[in-house]
Amino acid sequence: MAAAARMLRGTNAQGGALRMAERVFRLTLGACATFAILATAAIFVYLARTGVSGIAQAGIGDLTTGTRWKPEAGSYGGLPLVIGTLATALGAVLLGGIGSILAALWAVELAPKWVRATYRRFMTVGVAIPSVVYGWLALVHLVPLLRSFAVGIYGPDAQVGGEGIAAASLLLGTMIAPTIVILSFDAIAQVPQSIRDASYALGVSRVKTGLFVVLPYVWRRLLLALFFGFGRAAGETMAVQMVIGGARKLPENLFRPTTTISAQVVMDMQNARPGTTESNVLYSMSLVLLLVSVLGVLATHLLSRKSKGAP
Amino acid sequence: MTALASRPQRSIKRRNDRTGERVLYGALAVLAAIVLAPYVVGIVYLLAAGAMRAGAFSQYAVPLQGVSGETGYRLLLSACMGFTLGYVVGLAPRAVLARGKSPRPRLAKALPRVLGLLGALTFALLLRDHMPRFLLTLPSETKAGGGVGPELFNSVLLAALSTLLSAPIGVGAALYLARFARAKRFVTLARAALDTLASLPSIIYGLFGFLLFVVMMNKGYSLFAGACSLALLNLPIMVAVSEESLRNVPRDLEDASLALGTSKVRTALFVSLPYAWPGILSAIVLSIGRVFAESAPLIMTAGTTVSRATAYSTDPLRGGESLAVHLWYVNSAGLAPDRDAVSAGTATVLLVLVIAVNAIATRLARFGGANGRGA
Repeated sequence: MAAAARMLRGTNAQGGALRMAERVFRLTLGACATFAILATAAIFVYLARTGVSGIAQAGIGDLTTGTRWKPEAGSYGGLPLVIGTLATALGAVLLGGIGSILAALWAVELAPKWVRATYRRFMTVGVAIPSVVYGWLALVHLVPLLRSFAVGIYGPDAQVGGEGIAAASLLLGTMIAPTIVILSFDAIAQVPQSIRDASYALGVSRVKTGLFVVLPYVWRRLLLALFFGFGRAAGETMAVQMVIGGARKLPENLFRPTTTISAQVVMDMQNARPGTTESNVLYSMSLVLLLVSVLGVLATHLLSRKSKGAP
Repeated sequence: MTALASRPQRSIKRRNDRTGERVLYGALAVLAAIVLAPYVVGIVYLLAAGAMRAGAFSQYAVPLQGVSGETGYRLLLSACMGFTLGYVVGLAPRAVLARGKSPRPRLAKALPRVLGLLGALTFALLLRDHMPRFLLTLPSETKAGGGVGPELFNSVLLAALSTLLSAPIGVGAALYLARFARAKRFVTLARAALDTLASLPSIIYGLFGFLLFVVMMNKGYSLFAGACSLALLNLPIMVAVSEESLRNVPRDLEDASLALGTSKVRTALFVSLPYAWPGILSAIVLSIGRVFAESAPLIMTAGTTVSRATAYSTDPLRGGESLAVHLWYVNSAGLAPDRDAVSAGTATVLLVLVIAVNAIATRLARFGGANGRGA
């Protein structure tokens, strides 16, 4: 502190050299900010360039509509991967999204204060738990459970197992729930008290105020939370790879193994030599993931710009 | 008058309402419990399942496996564990000593730190050959009894490397955006870039890191490539949290400094930054937690192997798997007969690390913000 004070006092007396140093410092800071922009641009350019050459080599038609992904045989049907990614992510949002929002509503609006803090803390830990840990727990416990469930439905002779879209969706739902809970939590907590008071003054109960006044008031941010959850689920790699089964074809039902874009990328990247078609098509497929997150960012901008006008 | 007349009906209606209300409340509470349950059960289960494997203390030959650098690693590990233990033990008497006294007595303030140092010394000098075996031994592909020593070392090394890369750039960018940027278009662009970076799935960073740091650098899988990819991954959160805590610096403080004739740069460096420091530190700690947790980008940039010769080498240009990668690798390619026990132990170590990091970040964040300590 004393040193800082001395330096503060000394400023005016010293002249040009110091001003020069300050200028350099400012420029360095500006360079740091520019670096973020350049890094983003570089990621997009590199991925797009490699991805486009992959598309050129494998053909856009095969990559989007072909149903057999077998790079070693020169067959690049990307449809199972895209379907797998979208289906598991959608399932995750359906299973984990609505419940999480209502749970957040209960924790913020209706629960006692200590429950509220504890709830949030557990959810923070839930966000931070590594995805491989989720994946391993699901592999050891959820998959056998689902296998017996599937056998119960389809009969013992049917070719069903625990791995597949059902397991991946359940797992992803569990993984994105904490994120959605925390985002909704913050959204609901920022609803002005006057809105609630107005509702109470009309004789509306607390539960109904929460469901029909508070939730509709922040619907944009809740929708964003769901989008965000969808994006995370679609991009999730390791956990899904552990429970999806890894069969590179369209599944007959929810309990048959299939694959997703990210799971296939992480498996194939280990064998594909860089620069070959096998490697490039993986970049082409990852463009779908890029597209999903760009759409997410656009949705965020659109929805939050509109909500600025609202009170 | 009419209100009096209609009272009986209304009270029936109200009673029905109240029942419905109670049902709705109960349903929501049950739902919240269902959402919460997996995490509580999972955490408790993991701590119970892996504790045996991860925490078993035993005596063993010195040096354990004749790996170079293992002694240093053992010293480091025992010192860290000793410090943690001493610090935690010191927290309770500090609370007792400082009760009701507004500036904490100096003794109470220093107690956890002193005990921590004592613990570190004791552990490093006396107990370094009695650390949990699991945290020291090399992993094993085919035989039972593998540990995660090099993996833990690699995780810490990766965290250090990527923080070294991302912290200066992140804090610098945050400072620029919060205090110096004048061109509105530039700020919008930078924010859009950071938003996009934050929303990219981690595997994208792996693909990019593979192209740029593995293929173009032509050194094969390396910790440096992994650290660079993770530094990029952590950049947006670093900027966002630092900027947030810089924006929470009270305007008066800065105005006072500026009114004394201090330049903007100096005010930022010696007034704003120290005030926002706890928040910035919490950003750094959070990003360390993400390094521990991340696996997909590391598989594609740092590889999935541990070599005996360089197990504890600090050379960043060697490859090596981290704890999280190990957990995946054991389950997808491992042949060891005890892989469930190894996985449980690894998962428990990871969980303990992540929870500890999170707790530290939360504490730090509480120091900053509105009730900050002042400059």
